[in-house]
Amino acid sequence: MAEINNWDWDTKEKYIADINEWKKKFKAVREISISDDGERIAAVVENNDGRFTICNNGGVWEETFERLWKLKFNNENQLYSLAYRDYEWGVGIDNGMWEEKFDSIWNLTLTPDGKGAVANCKKDGTYGVVLNGNVWENRFADARNLAISPDGTKTASNVQTKSIKVADIFAFAEGIYSIAIDGNPWDRNFMSIWSFTFSSDSTKVAAEVMLDVGAFTIAVDGKPWDQVFGCVWEPIFKPGTHDVVAPVKRGATWTLAMNGKPIWGEFFQIWGQKYSPDGQKLAATVATEFTKWTIAVESNAWSRTWNETVLAPHFSPDSRRVAAIVKEDNRWTIAVDGIPWIETFDMIWDPVFSPNGDKVIAKAEKNKKYYIVVDGKIGKNGYDALWDPVFGPDGKKVLIKCIENGKYYRRIVPVNEI
Amino acid sequence: MLKYERKEIADLGIDESVKRLTPEKITKTINNVLKGTGARLKAYLDTCIHCGLCAEACHYYLSHGKNPTYSPVAKVKLTLWEMVKNKGNVSPDFIAQCSRIAYTECNRCRRCSLYCPYGIDIWYLIALVRRICLLLKVVPQYEMDTNYSHAATLNMMWLKQDDWIDTVQWQEEEVRMEYKTARIPFDKEGAEVMYTPIAPEPKFKPQLLAATAKIMHAAGVDWTMPSFDGWDNSDISMHVADFETMSRVERKHFEAAFKLKVKRIVMCE
Repeated sequence: MAEINNWDWDTKEKYIADINEWKKKFKAVREISISDDGERIAAVVENNDGRFTICNNGGVWEETFERLWKLKFNNENQLYSLAYRDYEWGVGIDNGMWEEKFDSIWNLTLTPDGKGAVANCKKDGTYGVVLNGNVWENRFADARNLAISPDGTKTASNVQTKSIKVADIFAFAEGIYSIAIDGNPWDRNFMSIWSFTFSSDSTKVAAEVMLDVGAFTIAVDGKPWDQVFGCVWEPIFKPGTHDVVAPVKRGATWTLAMNGKPIWGEFFQIWGQKYSPDGQKLAATVATEFTKWTIAVESNAWSRTWNETVLAPHFSPDSRRVAAIVKEDNRWTIAVDGIPWIETFDMIWDPVFSPNGDKVIAKAEKNKKYYIVVDGKIGKNGYDALWDPVFGPDGKKVLIKCIENGKYYRRIVPVNEI
Repeated sequence: MLKYERKEIADLGIDESVKRLTPEKITKTINNVLKGTGARLKAYLDTCIHCGLCAEACHYYLSHGKNPTYSPVAKVKLTLWEMVKNKGNVSPDFIAQCSRIAYTECNRCRRCSLYCPYGIDIWYLIALVRRICLLLKVVPQYEMDTNYSHAATLNMMWLKQDDWIDTVQWQEEEVRMEYKTARIPFDKEGAEVMYTPIAPEPKFKPQLLAATAKIMHAAGVDWTMPSFDGWDNSDISMHVADFETMSRVERKHFEAAFKLKVKRIVMCE
């Protein structure tokens, strides 16, 4: 919130850049990226010689590359990118580069403080993680995905600790995957590992693991739960504790388990569980029956269900309310506390609560134009491009980052004027 | 009396795996699977009158000189009926036979169900045999290896995450030699279409990705592909009856589309 407080919430409109001009100036304009505060817009641009560079608020980086992608502003409005030149990958930050070079680098992610960056990398033929330019010393036959601790000091990845021959199904079944933290793998391997996450105090890591064909559980710091399940999905830590909650399948139904023991009723499906900001309530996407999707809060499902999709729940900052994206009969909208907006859309983005939780806004698409929707009411203006709206600290103003007629604007609009 | 006779074909996934089985494990696994079948299995088993009309539907039967042991009803009789009749007490060699029949002598076309006067879903019965063989890990080696690839990487060809990205970026460079403004746009949020190949494309025939890019370019389609897991639309786990891995792969595929905010998924094949 401190950062948002520092943003300009007074200037009604800033014209930042003419993207149509960029399109005239360069052979191609790709991957437009906007800073969180809306003050900067950047894109990968192609020069006439076929090489790529970055145009950032109109300024052009002098360096050029054969490949360039994954533009990402940090919260100090420095621009990260992944850049490839002369058979080496590097990480660009504004008009400079990390010293380290890589065989490959991907999954570029900002650190929790919003300033630094972390990514998976391959260097000298081995795989690991690089945090702010520092590569793991221990590297592996493979590394898939990453997690960073909330304090920003530790990184984890799903690593392949043993190389095996092609189609060696017996060696695979003995387990060749582990979680490595800062390059140090757990004491034991598993047949497979999927999502993994740090505890809020950054000391523990939980992961969904495969023990055998048809046998799954959650492992915390390499130690599996005593209970084995027919299937599990992604674990989360209860904030401020070392308790781990994950969806688990027992027989034909799913429940949420904490540290291996069921804490919810049974559902046809459960995933996307999330704790409220105060850590007291748990909500998840559930199916009460086949094709009947909804949200359950503290195991109580909303009475309304949707026949195609309900995405993961979003709590209001005060933990009082829950909203989610829902889809029925190929139309998208938002449901808040079980009640869907009447208006439906071709596509809709994540719901955003006002600081006091009273209002919900979202970006939505209708007939090839993008709108801000406020509590289900579609905004007056349709835009050619639009980024997720942001509530001001007092909840009365909204930051709108939009492109109209090829021009990018940063606008501050009172909620009741949208 | 049906006699199952076949030319011997070595397969590590079957021959070696059965050596690791114990009678207890076989019985427990079979009975656990059968316990979860409910009325459907019972109805099918009690309804079948062994008329053999399903035989003429089966291309394995027809292409093996109408050898009766290739008829669908025989395949069930040589596998599942024996398991049920013996309450799961069958030998490792019998499991090897079941694996061979279920995985290599039925390709789940379901034509036999259309010939059955009662509409019995014979594929469902064969799938139960596959499920039992899977849980006993008695599966032809390369099918199991592909299934394991899905389990470990969520694609069927063991592609590492950076292999996938590099291959697509390379193919974009290839297609742009011919069509200067063509693209293979990774992770374009809000695109109309998410296109997903099967993993053999980037692994063995990457030029197919360039061919797709040419089609998309010529057709003016607003499209994207995920740079992250979920890009492979294949699901061999479904074929081997690894339903847990199957659902994980499918979930990831759909979640890629949700993440990219596309309106449609377009798949190769």
